[in-house]
Amino acid sequence: MTRSDFLGFGVMGAIVGAILTIPPVAFVLGPIIKTDVLGDSNVGSGWQEVGPVSEVPVEEPVDFVVNFPLQQVYGTKAIENPNVQNSESKFTLRNAIWLSWKAPIKEQGRQGSNGDVIGKPQRPAILDEKSEGFTESEREEIMSKLNVLSNSCAHLGCPVRWFPEKQLYLCPCHGGLYDINGGWVGGPPPRGMYRYTEAEVRENGKLYVKHKFNIEKGLDKQEPYVV
Amino acid sequence: MIGRIRTQTSEASQFLVDWMEDRTGIVTILEHVLYEPVPKRGAWLYTLGSAVLFTITLQFLTGILLLFYYVPTTDHAWDSVNYIMNDAYFGQVIRGIHYWSANFLMAFIGLHMGQVFFSGGYKSPRELNWVVGVILLLLVIGLAFTGYLLRWDQDGFWASVVGMKIGSYSPFVGGYVVHFLLGGDAVGPATLSRFFAIHVWLLPAAIAPLIGAHLYLLRRHGAFGSEFEYTDRLAKLHERQRMEEYARYETGEDEGEPYVGRRDRADRDGHEGSGE
Repeated sequence: MTRSDFLGFGVMGAIVGAILTIPPVAFVLGPIIKTDVLGDSNVGSGWQEVGPVSEVPVEEPVDFVVNFPLQQVYGTKAIENPNVQNSESKFTLRNAIWLSWKAPIKEQGRQGSNGDVIGKPQRPAILDEKSEGFTESEREEIMSKLNVLSNSCAHLGCPVRWFPEKQLYLCPCHGGLYDINGGWVGGPPPRGMYRYTEAEVRENGKLYVKHKFNIEKGLDKQEPYVV
Repeated sequence: MIGRIRTQTSEASQFLVDWMEDRTGIVTILEHVLYEPVPKRGAWLYTLGSAVLFTITLQFLTGILLLFYYVPTTDHAWDSVNYIMNDAYFGQVIRGIHYWSANFLMAFIGLHMGQVFFSGGYKSPRELNWVVGVILLLLVIGLAFTGYLLRWDQDGFWASVVGMKIGSYSPFVGGYVVHFLLGGDAVGPATLSRFFAIHVWLLPAAIAPLIGAHLYLLRRHGAFGSEFEYTDRLAKLHERQRMEEYARYETGEDEGEPYVGRRDRADRDGHEGSGE
């Protein structure tokens, strides 16, 4: 084999190999390229209506279901306007959101050994007087006292439920336990419940959220994903 | 009358078998594949591999049938399974076989693997067959995992979410694994399509040739002893079968062809004498 043969085979081999492998690989790994390389998300980035915050009672969390628009194959196109009804036949990302009032942490717990020591949840006094038309400072106060938690367990993503008799969230799959603030109490989860990082109360007294969570990368050398 | 028909039928079938053997060698192949002397002790343990082969064949057959009605879309998947279970003729049986033989398949694989492990069947020269078997095990686990989501009910949905999140904890590639399986960053239509493609085409297409390789390697080395020993035993088995046939011939028709019978008996006696 001469030098030019070698180069010819090498170059042709590389070209033919690329033509044969790149299209199918990119076709199958498209979602990885889009989410991990380009940083896109299938979930609509707009605000979604959750519900009126005045409906959240003092000592019990309450759950609201939010249908996030999902752009995935034949899912709904992003519906940024919450007034538009989602078509029933289209697939949306149904997430349950637990709302509750923050209970003050008296003593910080340690992940893996014991949960926080907490007091009574505190509901903003303004909500006894009115349920909408809040001023800027009132909205800030509400948001500072509101827990906006994803029901997706931080362990393996099962939906958690509030157990009034225990005053804890319990995950049905592997027994993860969280307190009313979503802090870790017991079981296998490596962290507390996921919080929605972008949430706001508007003048109409309703809460709006975006599909963003407080994901801490590199926590315990694990990468938790909200599924 | 009946005797003549029987003779004609057996002649015709013998002709067919000879014709096929002449052109394909199928009889020799089947003899080599099917006949093997098996020790009487623990013989039931040697059926575990066949049990795995049988259940996985059931998976292929019932899986093909289920595809006639199943629809892999988020809004129709559950309904189509519901249709199979309630309206399609024998739908419960077909899906029931698919479901239960999948469960038994996993159990049989575990037992088969344990039998091979404890009997030392993975040792030289059968190491590669063990390796192929482990790859097959992983592929079957993949099939079991991806099949669960296709029902698109609460059970399968959350089990798959849990499974994918287990994958997300794997070092370095966790994120890629979970995004690959999800087909994005959330459970949705792409997830179901992907699981369908993996369950129905990717893994079965990978598993079929590996089953062939597994069986070929099994026959190459035999289940008991080396290739040489195996053919030797097979020759002895054929010899014994022939002897038995001659013996029946002799007792049945005393006056017919005495010479052959006598010579053969002498052969057998001589053979046994020298063998022991």
